[in-house]
Amino acid sequence: MNLRTRAAVTGGIFGLLIALVSGGNVGYLAGIIAGTIAGILGTSEPAPKTPREGMQLGVLAGLVAGVLAAIGVALRTWIDVSTAVVGASAATLPMLLAGTLLLAGACGAAFGWVRGMPHPWDRNGLYIGIVALAIAFPFIDQALKLQFLNAIIPVLIFVLMALGLNIVVGYAGLLDLGYAAFFAIGAYTTGMLSSPHFGVNLPFWIVIWIAAAVAAIFGIILGSPTLPLRGDYLAIVTLGFGEIVPISVNNLDHFSLSILGQQIIPDIDLTGGPKGINPINRPSFFGYNFQAAEPIPWYFLILAILGISIFFILRLRNSRLGRSWAAMREDELAASAMGIDLVHTKLLAFAMGATFSGFAGAFYGAFISAIFPDAFRFDVSVMLLCMVILGGMGNINGVILGGLIIQFADRLFLPKFSELVQHLLQNSGNDVLKEIDFASNFRMMLFGLTLVIMMLVRPEGLIPSERRRRELHDDSPDLPQKQTSLYDTEAA
Amino acid sequence: MATKAIESNYQKRALPWATIGKIALLLFFILFLAVPTYNILLQMIANPQLLLRQLIIGLTNGAYIALIALGYTLVYGIVELINFAHGDVYMLGAFFSLSLVGLFHLNEDTPMGVRIPLILLILFLTMFATAMLNAFIERFAYRRLRNAPKLAPLISALGVSFVLQNVGLLWGYLRLPAFNGVMGTNAVAPKSFPGLLPNTNVLAPLQDVFGKGFTLRLSVRDLVVIIVSVVLLIALYLFVQRTKIGKAMRATAQDRDAAALMGIDVNRTISLAFLLGGALAGAAGFLVGMYNGTVVYTNGFTAGLRSFTAAVLGGIGNIMGAMLGGLLIGLISALSDQYISAKWTNAVVFGLLVLILVFRPTGLLGDDVQQKA
Repeated sequence: MNLRTRAAVTGGIFGLLIALVSGGNVGYLAGIIAGTIAGILGTSEPAPKTPREGMQLGVLAGLVAGVLAAIGVALRTWIDVSTAVVGASAATLPMLLAGTLLLAGACGAAFGWVRGMPHPWDRNGLYIGIVALAIAFPFIDQALKLQFLNAIIPVLIFVLMALGLNIVVGYAGLLDLGYAAFFAIGAYTTGMLSSPHFGVNLPFWIVIWIAAAVAAIFGIILGSPTLPLRGDYLAIVTLGFGEIVPISVNNLDHFSLSILGQQIIPDIDLTGGPKGINPINRPSFFGYNFQAAEPIPWYFLILAILGISIFFILRLRNSRLGRSWAAMREDELAASAMGIDLVHTKLLAFAMGATFSGFAGAFYGAFISAIFPDAFRFDVSVMLLCMVILGGMGNINGVILGGLIIQFADRLFLPKFSELVQHLLQNSGNDVLKEIDFASNFRMMLFGLTLVIMMLVRPEGLIPSERRRRELHDDSPDLPQKQTSLYDTEAA
Repeated sequence: MATKAIESNYQKRALPWATIGKIALLLFFILFLAVPTYNILLQMIANPQLLLRQLIIGLTNGAYIALIALGYTLVYGIVELINFAHGDVYMLGAFFSLSLVGLFHLNEDTPMGVRIPLILLILFLTMFATAMLNAFIERFAYRRLRNAPKLAPLISALGVSFVLQNVGLLWGYLRLPAFNGVMGTNAVAPKSFPGLLPNTNVLAPLQDVFGKGFTLRLSVRDLVVIIVSVVLLIALYLFVQRTKIGKAMRATAQDRDAAALMGIDVNRTISLAFLLGGALAGAAGFLVGMYNGTVVYTNGFTAGLRSFTAAVLGGIGNIMGAMLGGLLIGLISALSDQYISAKWTNAVVFGLLVLILVFRPTGLLGDDVQQKA
């Protein structure tokens, strides 16, 4: 199987799975996704020389993927009809199949065409295409009545956090296992400053900066005592902080302090304890008030925050600071010898990483309009780490892709998949199988397997940064066999 | 030499910041914790019997925490990997032994003559099973990553931990008729473990001597957990210190390459460390199951972190240190449960972990571990 066929099949399998688990109008979406993946991958290497050649390749790849997606659509309809799901009908099938195929071919063609353009535009055009899809998505969603938008906003929040974690882990090489703590700090700052809880009602546009600043300050506070630590110990201390923060917000509903019988601080409710802070004010924008029932403004708000964050992060990576991070990650000793101030560099990595988590936390608090300590547990930190690793540490595109894949799998694919399996099991008539609750139980197992398999098979992630890929493959010829570890240099 | 100079330069530069961090931690302690500590001391003096009872509970907890902590320490000593999955091996040990208890029809009414040999048999089988499991994990998930950057096996271990936790969850669905209903009716809920160890008070005769005011309890349950743990700990210590294989383990821990040159089979030695650690974790799982009377699939994570804290407290890589650390963590968490609040105990333990790592990363008994970390 050559590369192009493999690309088309990869896209097709994505489309098939999506169409199979969701059914209905999602088939069109499956076509778009399958065609896009096939179009991008199928024309990646060797790149087509002209837009026309690219378009031809793209159409082919898109159609192959589209056929697979259409098989998924047909299978799903067959299952629905044969198990007599209410509302299932075979009447709309021909249109659905044709639409899936057509959209897949069109998307493949479009991306193939872009890939054939002369140099800077093959890349820029790709980004423009993806951004255009992202902007068009709410309208596609509305037109097809998919109602995915409410599920996608949290996905983007998590992608934002993964980008922040990528600064700490991917750029600076500091393994942080308690990153969700900063998310919690950002969200609770928002909760305290913009809600009836304390009666402080600052506008969202100010609070989001305060939340980011508070998270950054906590990043420095939690980072400073860990400066002399390295590698494993750093990971453990961050894990410890990551556990202490949720326990604290869970228990700080009665906070009082008395010294020698003198009550210094009366009994106050700081965090609402297990009940959390509810409600939190929603933002308003030039007179428009954000509503829970209207997801589109929220979607564009988080898209804007994400876009600005990506811009900042790219600038950071290429700045003097970003290059210092890379140097420090590769070899602390050499970096220090080259005049890099390790203390500042490390603390700034913690602070910058926490900042983006603070943004995410503030948005999350305002979007959900409530926060509970349960949302910030160790699983969240691990899930974020999983995204960064799956996509490719240190590579923004990779981290975004990893975040999208894991979050989509978690929030859309697995619930739908479990619905389907549950549905099939109900019809199977076996008592033991009937009870197993797929959605909630297999999520973490899937994460675990992802982590292990990725580490064994492809430790550099799906889209690795070039440098990282060479580091992680010991057997590559241009490196000496024995390698010092990534995160510490062994003093001889 | 040059590296040393640069190193010390960094340490010097890091010092003010680290010192500020440390001072902040100390201030935090004085401000928020000193007063409660004072109050707690007053409470302890006011009711010494309660304190003694908590110390006994702490001792029992400490015994099993030490068993788990040894698994961390053995593995870390040799491959320098924090085996995050270890806590979950312990949890699976509890599930495995619970299934065996059901399989053998053991319950509170089984006559002692049958019960004791069966308990010993289950203990042995559980230790064997978890030992094999742990060695299998090493073979499957860690061995290939031995020469990879340190982050890779650590993340792999995290992944294994999540997988095992879900295996524990799935085990709850395993309501085979052969298990005689030990898995209960709800897969996710804690499983109740039959009280196989009698809860009779050994100190009851003393009550006659000291009169009604004497309420101190030391049950057979406490004693069995402590005795079995101590026997296993001593056996392990002797094994590592006295036998030839133990010597090979220590040599591998000191310098893997040199050990290989001396003709030690390093792969086998590492497997052995995992086997031993797994066996101890399995024993701990069974003992805790009998002691607490419940098994939950989420147990592994907390127990693992506590045990890891114990290993770090004692000085990771140091066997005696892990025992001492386990004991201390057991005592501290029992006291925190009683005098602070059970809901803060985890925060206390993790806070302690952070404090140890920040102020004395080598632990109580460790010496030159900082180079390794």
